[in-house]
Amino acid sequence: MNLLRGTGTQDLPGPVRSVMSVHMPALAVGLLLLVTVTASAILQPGFFSPYGLSASFATFLPLATIAAAQTIIVLGGGIDLSIGTIVTLSSAVSVVLMQGDDARLPLALAAGLATGAACGLFNGLVVAVLRLQPIVATFATSSVFGGLALLVLPSPGGQVSPILTGTYRMVLAMYVPIPAVLLVVLFLSWRMMRGTRYGQHLYAVGGNAEAAYTSAVPVSRVRVLSYTLGGMVASLAGVALLADAGAGDPTLGTELTLGSIAALVIGGTRLRGGSGGVGGALVGAVVLSLIQGLVFFAGVPTNAREFVYGCVIIAAIALAGLLTAREGSASGASGGRR
Amino acid sequence: MDSPTFLRMSGVRKRYGGVTALDGADFEADSGTVHAVLGPNGSGKSTLLKVLTGVVGPDAGQVRLDGAPLRPRGPRDTLTAGISSVYQELSLVEDFTVLDNLVLGVEPSRFGLRDRRAALARSLPWLERFAPAFGGRVPVRERVSDLDPGERQVVEVCKALVRDPRVLVLDEATASLRRGQVEVLFEVVDELRARGVLILFITHRLAEIYAVCDRATVMRNGTDVATVAVAGTPEAELLELMSGRPSAAPSGTRGPGTPAVETPTEGPATAPDATAAKDQDTDPATSPRLEVRDLTGDRLHGVSLKVRAGEVLGLGGLQGQGQSELMAALFGAARRTGGTVLLDGTPVRARSPKQAVRAGFCYVPGNRGTQGLALGRPILENLALPSVGRRAFLGVGLSRRREVAAARAVAERVNTRYGSLNDPVSTLSGGNQQKIVVGKWFPTEPAVVLMDDPAKGIDVGAKAEMFDVVAELAASGAAVIVGSSDDRELVEVCDRVLVMFEGRVVDEVSGDRLTEDTLIASAMHVTGADVAAAREGHTSELPDPEPRHAEEGGA
Repeated sequence: MNLLRGTGTQDLPGPVRSVMSVHMPALAVGLLLLVTVTASAILQPGFFSPYGLSASFATFLPLATIAAAQTIIVLGGGIDLSIGTIVTLSSAVSVVLMQGDDARLPLALAAGLATGAACGLFNGLVVAVLRLQPIVATFATSSVFGGLALLVLPSPGGQVSPILTGTYRMVLAMYVPIPAVLLVVLFLSWRMMRGTRYGQHLYAVGGNAEAAYTSAVPVSRVRVLSYTLGGMVASLAGVALLADAGAGDPTLGTELTLGSIAALVIGGTRLRGGSGGVGGALVGAVVLSLIQGLVFFAGVPTNAREFVYGCVIIAAIALAGLLTAREGSASGASGGRR
Repeated sequence: MDSPTFLRMSGVRKRYGGVTALDGADFEADSGTVHAVLGPNGSGKSTLLKVLTGVVGPDAGQVRLDGAPLRPRGPRDTLTAGISSVYQELSLVEDFTVLDNLVLGVEPSRFGLRDRRAALARSLPWLERFAPAFGGRVPVRERVSDLDPGERQVVEVCKALVRDPRVLVLDEATASLRRGQVEVLFEVVDELRARGVLILFITHRLAEIYAVCDRATVMRNGTDVATVAVAGTPEAELLELMSGRPSAAPSGTRGPGTPAVETPTEGPATAPDATAAKDQDTDPATSPRLEVRDLTGDRLHGVSLKVRAGEVLGLGGLQGQGQSELMAALFGAARRTGGTVLLDGTPVRARSPKQAVRAGFCYVPGNRGTQGLALGRPILENLALPSVGRRAFLGVGLSRRREVAAARAVAERVNTRYGSLNDPVSTLSGGNQQKIVVGKWFPTEPAVVLMDDPAKGIDVGAKAEMFDVVAELAASGAAVIVGSSDDRELVEVCDRVLVMFEGRVVDEVSGDRLTEDTLIASAMHVTGADVAAAREGHTSELPDPEPRHAEEGGA
């Protein structure tokens, strides 16, 4: 099958090829970020004003967080279609416990986090221990979690604690909104995790589960933990949504799930696992949010917005894919035997 | 016993469905030795070592290492016990760098974070030791997907060594290595032996056994037959132990490695004498239906053969020596890089299975579930599929009555027992399913029938009936090529068997010489010269994309 190997990069020495293939996705998503930010600065009045930045980052953070959660799961070779309803369920639990009372905030946050982790753990056990297909299994659990969310919070509402919303809208040093800080914290936590043995095992299981198993990597445990971590991070996205909206909404679900997958693909993570990273997914989520804003500010008629938005996303994914496809097909060809 | 045996496996049994892979095998080996495990295809040698490495759980039996019982639940446990294996099917993560692969699963860490420096300290000595095998460089930071197959195999060896094993299993580890790489490996094996490591060695190259091994255990039919000292055992005796009977066909009459083949088997360098071949072919009675000259491709290094109409030609030899690749290349499913294929004297160049079928080829895969049948669809549709275009009115209109009549005729001809033609194929037994796979080609009146291990996993009675179908296809004038890992099957079905080794035909067995013993001997009897010759044009191929390693689990 080596005839399928890239035509252009083949003649380059190994180390150069290695470096290129690692940094290609980063280049692609970086380019997209540059284009969308430039376009936003031109089309969107006051984009770089303190208020504009604060508003932008407030919308970036929930999608970025949920994309990070999905990336952790996808890197390990899984996928979680229930991640959106994990967000809604955990935020519903939080907001119901919060009752607009600052004193109850820690309890509510802890309960939300625990809910997310429990949902993730459940998914992980179903996928890794019962060995059901991740897509089908998490599609089913998505209804379970969504249904629970409706039981906990039957209609949009609830009172978010004032401290939470207040902090979320704070801007440090004129130009640094709190959500931007949180975005950086999220990225640094990921780098930290990437540096542990678990981080390495996550990539190994997603890249070649059989090789990982024969190398004494605890494959099932790694998978279960990836879903659990994903669920926990998703519940953080739920907190961000609450802080942004000031109230709970039990109906968000699927939209968030698909957004998270689009963001990580734009960010250069391979859907079959083992390649990519949370950093790219965060930028991908920012790009996705910016595109949504751009469609609005470009004056697209209301009824055509959805259509234009979809077309631009396809273009973005295609661009990210084209820039990385060559290396992808090379490793796909030689790795195709599994 | 003052010093208990270092490794002792006793009474190991393992069944895969209806097939017994290990039938109470015993095995003993001492530390500080290089111990070969030998046997024909399906003798259980791979399963035995997989039990040792914990990849396969035995049904019964005990393993004791250094006096302590070993009950592995997986590779994690055996690695802790000091058993490392170099796998035939590679266990590397392609996206990772060499360094990350070497320490995968045993990453050193400090304060919870991976410690790159410690990882490098553990890995670098081995990579430097094997530098000649990497062409002089030390590829610490290169990604595995950028290495060639031989280099990947060396990384695999280093990975096993980084784990500092007491027992090192080399399962066909030399198969994709070049000569220089093998030399480095054997030097390291010598060093390890001196340090008291037990090295278990599976290879299909007898020359290598004589080069490095101290002792050899011969396996046959799932049990151990004998353990001998390699130095005091002549080749003939080893072969005899493997085949189980004193070899009737004396391998001495045939110069080892000089194939007694009528068809040209020269390497790609020497072009076949086309004019001479043409002269032979002028006589229509003896002219071949199918002639292949010097075919090259993935894992094929100049294969030439001729099959007459009505003849059944076998492809034998050890598994994964290019038999499947040859058939895939003929059927247009794998790329050909050179050579000619002549059907009734006319060149055929099929680039896809569709073109091959149009030219008169048909293909019966061993894996009927994924390649031969649409399991959930009715018997009728499966039988009709390859020939449906021929019966369609104006190329599109189908008459159900004609479909049914055609399907019924085939089902009768191959003697399939079925309830209704509308039942899904999956309701049939394995043997009857396989008869459908073969029978569906009847209406296309094939000129060449390619069968890749067609009797895999079907019972003896069904097997016999299926080979009746094969004989009928041949009688109707087709040239039949059968690849099989079962030597007995080849003896029973074929008129002639070509023995393949590393992508070449190295021997032809026919007439009185066509016995199981000869086939085993011929497959194993490969001298150093052959290995060297085969390696010349065999430097950078990818390993068999689908290693046919499930020899014991064939059912």
